[in-house]
Amino acid sequence: MAVDGLLAVGGILSLALGASGLILTRNQKQEVIWNKRFAAQILCWIFICKGIANGVRSVGYEGESWRFVLYSGHFTDQVFAGAIVLLALIFPVPLLRTKKQFKIGALLVLTYTLISIGAAIFISVTTPLAGLADAYIVCGFIWASVYLKFRFMSNYEDHKEVQGVSDVAILLLIMVTGHILFRWVGFLTRSDYFYFMDVYGGNMTSDYLWSMGLAAAAIFGIVILFGEIYQVIQGNVRGTSYVIFTYMTIGIVSHIVLAGTGLSGSGGGTDAGAGYTKWQSIWTEITSSVHFTMMRPILGLYILFHYGLVKISEDNEQVGKTMAIVLIVVATSALLEIIQSLIPLTEMLSAGILGIAIAFGIGWEERSFQSLISNPLRFPIRVKGLYFPELDFEKSAYFTLDKGMAILIGFVVLMAFILELSSADPFTMNSW
Amino acid sequence: MSDEEGILFLIKEDDSGRSFALLSFALVVGLAFHAYTFNITKANDIANKYALDTYSIDFEHYDVQGSDSLLIASGETDVLQLSRDIMGVEEGSLMAQIAFDISYSESSGQIGDPCDEVHVSIAPNGMVADWQNEDNVLSDSNDNCDPMTLLVYVYPEYVGESSEVVGSSANYWNDLWTNETYGSGTIELEISVETNEGPTSFATGGDDNEEITVQWTVSFFEVEITTLPL
Repeated sequence: MAVDGLLAVGGILSLALGASGLILTRNQKQEVIWNKRFAAQILCWIFICKGIANGVRSVGYEGESWRFVLYSGHFTDQVFAGAIVLLALIFPVPLLRTKKQFKIGALLVLTYTLISIGAAIFISVTTPLAGLADAYIVCGFIWASVYLKFRFMSNYEDHKEVQGVSDVAILLLIMVTGHILFRWVGFLTRSDYFYFMDVYGGNMTSDYLWSMGLAAAAIFGIVILFGEIYQVIQGNVRGTSYVIFTYMTIGIVSHIVLAGTGLSGSGGGTDAGAGYTKWQSIWTEITSSVHFTMMRPILGLYILFHYGLVKISEDNEQVGKTMAIVLIVVATSALLEIIQSLIPLTEMLSAGILGIAIAFGIGWEERSFQSLISNPLRFPIRVKGLYFPELDFEKSAYFTLDKGMAILIGFVVLMAFILELSSADPFTMNSW
Repeated sequence: MSDEEGILFLIKEDDSGRSFALLSFALVVGLAFHAYTFNITKANDIANKYALDTYSIDFEHYDVQGSDSLLIASGETDVLQLSRDIMGVEEGSLMAQIAFDISYSESSGQIGDPCDEVHVSIAPNGMVADWQNEDNVLSDSNDNCDPMTLLVYVYPEYVGESSEVVGSSANYWNDLWTNETYGSGTIELEISVETNEGPTSFATGGDDNEEITVQWTVSFFEVEITTLPL
């Protein structure tokens, strides 16, 4: 049974980030504003969902238990989709602004997620109801709106806290849809590699809705790109400007590499398609697959620590440090492995280069961690407090969220197991 | 609900809703472009993307025949070898099956001399073939001078009839049916003889060998893969 190494590493990274992040949020002594606290927990559960999905999918669909792989991956992706919508509704700017709104919002997202899972079980995983792409549209729209509002806020162009909100909105959008931004040019040029991306071919409505979600992600990326070009012209360059420029530039190069190809694999175009050349496969792996499996956890880690979703103090510094170092080192090693596999060097030579890189880099992971946790960015509560309503949640509310997510994920994995034992047909219930 | 608790407040605050309007406009225009492209410009391409092609697989077969005669002493085993080289066929020929027809008669000339006991077998190695095929006949023996037939299926799944298949690619089906590895190597037919003495053998001299005739027929095929129109 072949195991997809990159997916497996990505799964481990995501699970590690999710689990240790949850420990940190539970153990932190310092007060964190309610939406950041909930956002930290949801972000961690998002990575646990992705960790499970990537982990099981790394085994592949060729084995006897392919139904379990398919169902558990699909269900955890559906929980992931619901979680990112809930995250967008409260972070960075809470759209759910009272406790009542928060409860109703969370309940609606949960209900939609359960209906979506039910549709996948009782109708088909390809039915429009069981789709996931609507999540890209909802959360993308919210984060892009937040970006525009805060990035272009009059008289606050240089305000670190105000601009920090737009930064985190960009990073969240890139974290979730970055692998689609690598193909944004194909959306405009009507290229097959974009419009054929992961369409099932069986249900045109599902295919259309899925492709629409990808298109929405590309549109938000283009809006932010133009926004940042304008800001650069105005002389307001920020770190996140370079991030979005990098992603969109890779998108342009990807068009040069992939133009003329049609088929693409699963997971939002993260796999190469059947008709890809070796070079196109390599390009897809070092761009989309690397983002999908490794950049997501790294960006998640950065958002958690740099924006103060998790506050590191003496009590939890050790767990935080271990978590950060493991993530950074594993991701870097995996990246070096990929580079090694691509560069036509002898093993001795590449080992030598690796050794020199390590010798120069000793201690960098420690330094990275310190710069990450020092001076977490505050949100502009003093100058723009109206955007950030102060709500007082009992501790039990945070625990309830954790319990609910744990039960939901446990339930969907159990359902996948039962469906596997029942030899259910994922593509039509009629064949049960 | 106060104004600050509503979503409209968020939309209008600071920029009178300009960023919301701008983004909504971009999204609507972008999705309209996408809808037109997906549902009109590329509709047929997308619908056909996963439409599975049907392929017709047609076979043309021909046989190569030959025969050998072996004089085998009683208690001895002789081996008849067969390979593409020995048959004089091209190296890349696609071999379907090999049949050996073994025949003999009592050739001692003695009155009342019974048929000799002849055992024939094929060792399941030497040639790359479908050795696991349950229809293979790899050994036989008799002592009544009846002819025997041994049969080895060489190319797995080959039944010689044209068929239509759905899915994969023309290259896939072509590769599947042009595997020249099958039929490579040498197949060996072992023949053993045990003579049976007749009642007059003491007077006319012993029956100490037998002449065995082996006629072999090797079936070859050529394949043609045609993509049928959708």
